[in-house]
Amino acid sequence: MIVVNFIINNILTQASITIALISLFGLMLQRKKAGEVISGAFKTLLGFLILSAGSGIIVLSLIYLGKIFTEGFGMQGIVPSIEAINGQAMNNLHLGNQIALTFLAIFVFNIIIARFTRWKYIFLTGQAILWMATMTTIFGSFAGLSGAPLILVAGLVGGIFAVAMPAIAQPIVRKITGSNDIALGHFCTVGYIFAAGVSKLVGDKTKSTEDLELPKGLEFLQDTYLSLALVMIPLYVITAFFAGAKFGSTLSGDVNYVVYAFLQAVQFIVGVYVLLAGVRLLLAEIVPAFRGIALKVVPDAIPALDCPVLFAYAPNAVTLGFIGTTIGSVIAMFLLPKFGLAMILPGMLTNFFAGGTAGVFANAVGGRRGTIIATIAHGIFITLLPALLVVSFNKMGFINATATDVDTVTAALLFAWFITPILKAI
Amino acid sequence: MFFKKKRIEETSSDLYQENIKPINKGKLIEEARILFNTIDSISGDERIKILNKIGSLYFEADKIDDAIKCYEISISGNKNLGKAYTDLVKLYNIKVKEAVKEKDDEGMKYYMDKIDKLLQLSKDVIRGRA
Repeated sequence: MIVVNFIINNILTQASITIALISLFGLMLQRKKAGEVISGAFKTLLGFLILSAGSGIIVLSLIYLGKIFTEGFGMQGIVPSIEAINGQAMNNLHLGNQIALTFLAIFVFNIIIARFTRWKYIFLTGQAILWMATMTTIFGSFAGLSGAPLILVAGLVGGIFAVAMPAIAQPIVRKITGSNDIALGHFCTVGYIFAAGVSKLVGDKTKSTEDLELPKGLEFLQDTYLSLALVMIPLYVITAFFAGAKFGSTLSGDVNYVVYAFLQAVQFIVGVYVLLAGVRLLLAEIVPAFRGIALKVVPDAIPALDCPVLFAYAPNAVTLGFIGTTIGSVIAMFLLPKFGLAMILPGMLTNFFAGGTAGVFANAVGGRRGTIIATIAHGIFITLLPALLVVSFNKMGFINATATDVDTVTAALLFAWFITPILKAI
Repeated sequence: MFFKKKRIEETSSDLYQENIKPINKGKLIEEARILFNTIDSISGDERIKILNKIGSLYFEADKIDDAIKCYEISISGNKNLGKAYTDLVKLYNIKVKEAVKEKDDEGMKYYMDKIDKLLQLSKDVIRGRA
């Protein structure tokens, strides 16, 4: 009994060990060799710990930004970064273990729903599921749930989203791909449907974006971290100027306050780099195990794949979608504070992937005119939804960050606006 | 209600081929073979165009492995996004389904990895990195 209690209280409460055990069971179910099982589980353990280390770096950098932003502009400046949310949930709220188990629960509910209903979608984008698990766990916990009920409710909501979002997108995906063989597994679908709706209203589908001559590459986005630097370094340095030398120096010690701001911006990028390296290592073992199991249990599955699966159908629409969404997010950055909401800074990577895919959707129903107008509206929309979450994040003690992928935001708002009041009323 | 299967959702592109006239697969394969014999004598964009045409003919004739081979050669020669990418995802997906049917775990993983690599290449190409 002492041994069992020791295991429950000291080992299974460690998120890294929990997720390594999930990976271990997944690999064993696939009947992998003992060596592969052990090395796979160990890599997962390493991945989770690296992810946690990256989270810690991001949180420290954001605490600094929060202080200088409030001093410089007299308001809260919010960085849209799901990585930062994940980091704070694990480090500050100590929800790592619950997130790991919800991650597994979403996989399981996805398989169950796909197996027993006519919606055969299996969501295969592992990273997106991790972010969904992060959000449903945080907001489930905030609703007052804990232990097994938290994992079950957060997993069920995530699992429903994992099937519902590809299903909602599928009529337009069918239009784009000309077949029902593949689906879209990217948790920005609410935004894509919004963009398609606007495009249908204002567009003219007879004139496609693909008839235009556009530059082939978006060179400045070649590197994830350079594109992050493009936003974060000016943000930190300009904010430090506004906060002033006197205040800046109280935080920077012996280092010049502007140089310190620059280094803190770089620290944020380092944090994202480390965190994503951890995510890759973590998912490298779990996702193939899940895929293997899911495709066996649901043999007539429609795989829901990451957003680049649609890029080749309309590359110009991707470029226009990115530009339109960026314009929209800049408009929203200045517009939302006028309505009492927080200032949300543009997230270039979200603008690229979500904006690009929104462009493909908009082009399919409204051509080039629809794409231009709808993706600007999309930029405003995907900035508005995270802004609505800031109040809840502030109540929970999150620092200067909000989530990005709008389906995870929608799931969180579902908890904040409906599930939490119901649970609190009971 | 929720579990009731009022309408089974079609899971393959057969849905889109219901009203299409019967295909003469032999003729398609023959046409593809003739074109394949010419590719060594041509180069540049024309070669890529012919490879994509052969891939498309093989795909239509259900010669999945041959279609994959042609499209993979095409992409290795020209990484521009287009039909080679869109058809390859569908072809790899067919191979995944075949592997699931045959309980071939290695085959399933092999083609799922190929899908992952193709999606990564799509990302890189559109960002000007490949």
